[in-house]
Amino acid sequence: MAEELLTCSFRVHGRDFENAGEASTEIKSLLKDLEIDPQTIRRAVVVAFEAEMNVVMYADEATVTLVLTDEDISIEAADSGPGIPDIEHAMEEGWSTATDEMREMGFGFGMGLPNIKRNSDLFAIRSEVGAGTVVSCRIDLDDHG
Amino acid sequence: MDELTHGFRVDEAACDGCLACMRACPTYAVRVKHGKARVLSQSCIDCGSCLKACARGAITATTRTLAEFDHFAFKVAIPSPVLYGHFPLEVRPEHIVDGLLAAGFDAVWDYGIDLRLVTLANVDYVKRWRGPRPVISIMCPVVVRLLQVSYPRMLEQLIQVHPPREVAGREVKRHYSQELGLAPEQIAAIYVTPCQARTVSILQPAEGGRSYLDGSVGIPQVFNTVLVEAREAARTGRRRSEWSPVRSADVLRLSLRRPITELLTKHRYLSVAGLPNVIRVFDDIEKGKLKDFDYLECYACWGGCANGNLTVDNVYVTLAKLQSLMNELPETDPRTEEEVARRYPHEDYSLPRAPQPRAAVVVGDLRERVRRKRKADRIAAILPGLDCGLCGAPACKVLARDVAAGEAERGDCVFLSRQRLEELRRIHRRPE
Repeated sequence: MAEELLTCSFRVHGRDFENAGEASTEIKSLLKDLEIDPQTIRRAVVVAFEAEMNVVMYADEATVTLVLTDEDISIEAADSGPGIPDIEHAMEEGWSTATDEMREMGFGFGMGLPNIKRNSDLFAIRSEVGAGTVVSCRIDLDDHG
Repeated sequence: MDELTHGFRVDEAACDGCLACMRACPTYAVRVKHGKARVLSQSCIDCGSCLKACARGAITATTRTLAEFDHFAFKVAIPSPVLYGHFPLEVRPEHIVDGLLAAGFDAVWDYGIDLRLVTLANVDYVKRWRGPRPVISIMCPVVVRLLQVSYPRMLEQLIQVHPPREVAGREVKRHYSQELGLAPEQIAAIYVTPCQARTVSILQPAEGGRSYLDGSVGIPQVFNTVLVEAREAARTGRRRSEWSPVRSADVLRLSLRRPITELLTKHRYLSVAGLPNVIRVFDDIEKGKLKDFDYLECYACWGGCANGNLTVDNVYVTLAKLQSLMNELPETDPRTEEEVARRYPHEDYSLPRAPQPRAAVVVGDLRERVRRKRKADRIAAILPGLDCGLCGAPACKVLARDVAAGEAERGDCVFLSRQRLEELRRIHRRPE
């Protein structure tokens, strides 16, 4: 059984493009302080960043929680958003419901969820229309952590 | 891991512990202990901010003289184009070639061709790139090292094309070994560098492996001799060679921070100079911004390479001279273009391997590191947060981390310890 070593969570606000990326930046500096292997940090930050951007673009409020154990890093983004009606579509590369405005800012190219999945060792998403979406990911640590 | 090579030395006797270098260091690589500065090798990116900040002259660049290359049979100078902006206007590039030959080089390389070749390779790279944008220019070795130390996630965005000096080094060896019948090892390809970071990048390339160049000499090391000889050549009109290494404006573009951007007219590019500005832009990229830009060109020095720490002249004067030289020249040189067209399709310009993150030496297992991190957070909470630096660390959070790692004591903070204040008084007492 993995031993939990550290937990921390961040609030992310929908439509707050100005502060978008702050939570993943903090996650990065935390993992860097913990001297986690740079390739693992890279994957964790991509996961955290894409999850955070999904919240900023589509949801109202969310909590991004990071749990570090001696075996893995788990990142969960739980939002109180509109929910995703068709998850299968949302997982397709290039499929997006982003507005022109979002695309103009360089976001919303339909790579978010696929990118999260690609960088996770374990990936789960559950969503309820009208209630919210929870994206859960796990990234395994190598021997040296 | 190989020990890291750096290009700066702190002279302990001359250092008076004034903290200026520590405050100037962008990667928190300097600590001041017992009134003396010391550099943490793993975090140093060879930018030379400490060198510029030190008023006592206690920090110096570890330079080489041309005489140290005397064991080679044939010495070839590959001068950074910045060199051509260092002399009075009547001294032309062909006179400077004369000066370099008088200084002890056996030949001066036609570097413009390599600059053009690498420019084309960069343009092709940008056009073909399908990964995360923007791609980042590899020209400035400090920028490469900054990515390795502070932005490992963005290393894949680095353009993996050899910088022009390396392509020149490779061709110098090939060309002269063929022409003179010498072994490549007998030919020295020597870069005349405007900055110490390039010296370091030749001694120890960021991507590992070996440089094609055999070393470098700083502009200051050859300046006096070249100036005297080049002036003489300009005055008398007597010259060893009629040949000019600067025949077209495009050769000088890189030095004026206006390089390949006009070739990327359909692409969006950013040009950033000055390390604090580069860091700000990298922070933005890390936050997912600037994805709409295709090409990012960064220089650690705010004037570009003309403001490198191994230049002699005032940067504004150098830039003005390079500009006036550029104004007189045609945009391109047909002979150069012919050679570029001949060579470009047959050579590989890609880096043999990608630069990897510079991992810190990891101490302890993860559990221990989490404990250390928690301890650092607790200590940071009782420190004043003023980042005064009197403890010898550049910021309160850095001291907290050092204390948690057992490398400093919380009593180093003057807010927490009267003894520390007294120690500082002793060290920094002014003579009566």
